Amino acid sequence: MIFNSYEAYKQAGFRPKACILGSGPAGTTIARKLGAAGIPVVVLEAGSREFSEESQDFYRGKTVGDFYFDLDITRLRFMGGSSNHWAGWCRVLDKQDFEPKAWAPDTGWPIGRADIEPYLGEVHDILELPDFRPDVPVSDDIRWVQLIKSPAVRFGEKFADELDKSRNIAVVLNTYATELTGDGKRVTGAKLWSNGHDAGTFAADYFVTCTGGLENSRLLLWSNERSNGGVVPNAAALGRYWMEHPTFQGGNAILANYSEFEVDASKEAFFSPTLAAMERLQIMNFGIRLIESPYPNVKKLIADLACTAPNMAEWMSSQLDQRLRCAAQLYVAWEQAPLASNQIELSKADVDHAGVPRIELRWKKSPLERRTLLEGLRLFGTTMAQKNLGRVRIDDWIGDGGDYPTNEETAGNHHMGGTRMGTDVLKSVVDANCKVHGMDNLYVGGSSVFCTSGQCNPTTTITALACRLGEHLGKVIAV
Amino acid sequence: MSRFMRKMSRRAIVQALIALPALSLFRSQQPVVDADEIVEINGWILRRSDLT
Repeated sequence: MIFNSYEAYKQAGFRPKACILGSGPAGTTIARKLGAAGIPVVVLEAGSREFSEESQDFYRGKTVGDFYFDLDITRLRFMGGSSNHWAGWCRVLDKQDFEPKAWAPDTGWPIGRADIEPYLGEVHDILELPDFRPDVPVSDDIRWVQLIKSPAVRFGEKFADELDKSRNIAVVLNTYATELTGDGKRVTGAKLWSNGHDAGTFAADYFVTCTGGLENSRLLLWSNERSNGGVVPNAAALGRYWMEHPTFQGGNAILANYSEFEVDASKEAFFSPTLAAMERLQIMNFGIRLIESPYPNVKKLIADLACTAPNMAEWMSSQLDQRLRCAAQLYVAWEQAPLASNQIELSKADVDHAGVPRIELRWKKSPLERRTLLEGLRLFGTTMAQKNLGRVRIDDWIGDGGDYPTNEETAGNHHMGGTRMGTDVLKSVVDANCKVHGMDNLYVGGSSVFCTSGQCNPTTTITALACRLGEHLGKVIAV
Repeated sequence: MSRFMRKMSRRAIVQALIALPALSLFRSQQPVVDADEIVEINGWILRRSDLT
């Protein structure tokens, strides 16, 4: 069932056991799992079926620190959430991403990759993925990894019919919770806003916030402030340890044989470090994306090489004559070290139309990440040279310690952390089952529970975690 | 025995012999070049042999 307003939903007399806030990949997946288990669930979606400027305006905010995207651009507020602008890149976090790293404080999850593997079959169906091939070691330091570009499932479009026909799932559009109320043990209700108006209060046995990697923190921070700590009793880490995947062009490569890496349809290939290399160099995880260079760039690159190594440049030039495609731009996306100082706060000066403070995001890349960028490129370049697969040139601004450019990709629009998973209530917000510490009936879905970000796009892992949470919640509610 | 050696005291000859090994310190060092060594020049990550 899909309703366009809370008023219409109320008239239907539906009695849900659980209320899910948000209809993105996490919210929709959890709702489908509960619905399939015969548990009535309502999904409150703040936007409508289509994009609107009016809805996006609720997402405006401010970033303090490093340059970042406008907060009303980097995410979407309508049915299907940010899956509506997702590029469809898929990979699950690696086993090593879940492990603590002695050289990076506050890393490590309370669950391992094995805990989400049982759900990967479902994830493949949901995201329409073929099987991943195993990583291919290129050297002791570098793995050639697979990042599948799926058909970019728009959750709102793909599941609209199924949700509309469901007897157990009610989706209420144009409706969201401005705040949750709680007594320090349970969420007692939600204050709703529907179609631009206060819509009263709403109660359910269980609540799951799946409003996104920025908005989950905002909702819980505001709810907690209003209820004097009654929604997140252990709030030391709430909003903190926020992470992105910073992404910049880091250099270029001339390759002996481009086709050796069986590049995908977009002519791109991906490489990541081994755990041993990360440990030896004490760096975070990263992904290097090879993108085929346009011809004029190749000539420029060979001319540059000729100034340093004329014979090598001549050989590369002959490769260019033979194959036409022999060079690539190198884009690096890396794992941010989880830092408590990278955090979502509530603005003290600016509120949205419903009176909820907007986000003030404090975000800064750390020196460890800068080292990850440089050492990661050196690691990749060394492997290429040692194996005679090609030669790498690192961009000057990286080697010279220059500022990050502001005209680059900047980041992946991946919003992670803020309500991270853990066992230490001072450094986490939810437990291994995504339940808020100290609360009996409040859960969090989505990438805000990530403890670390790994190097890959988060949607596949978000969906796997949502399958796991949906199954867990189904068992809890059925008892 | 040459006239030069006859003029040197035995003590001077012994001191000269002791000092001989230290002379190698002043020889110009000829490093062994590893052609596979990885070097970073002007941002390029190369094998040393690429530079020949």
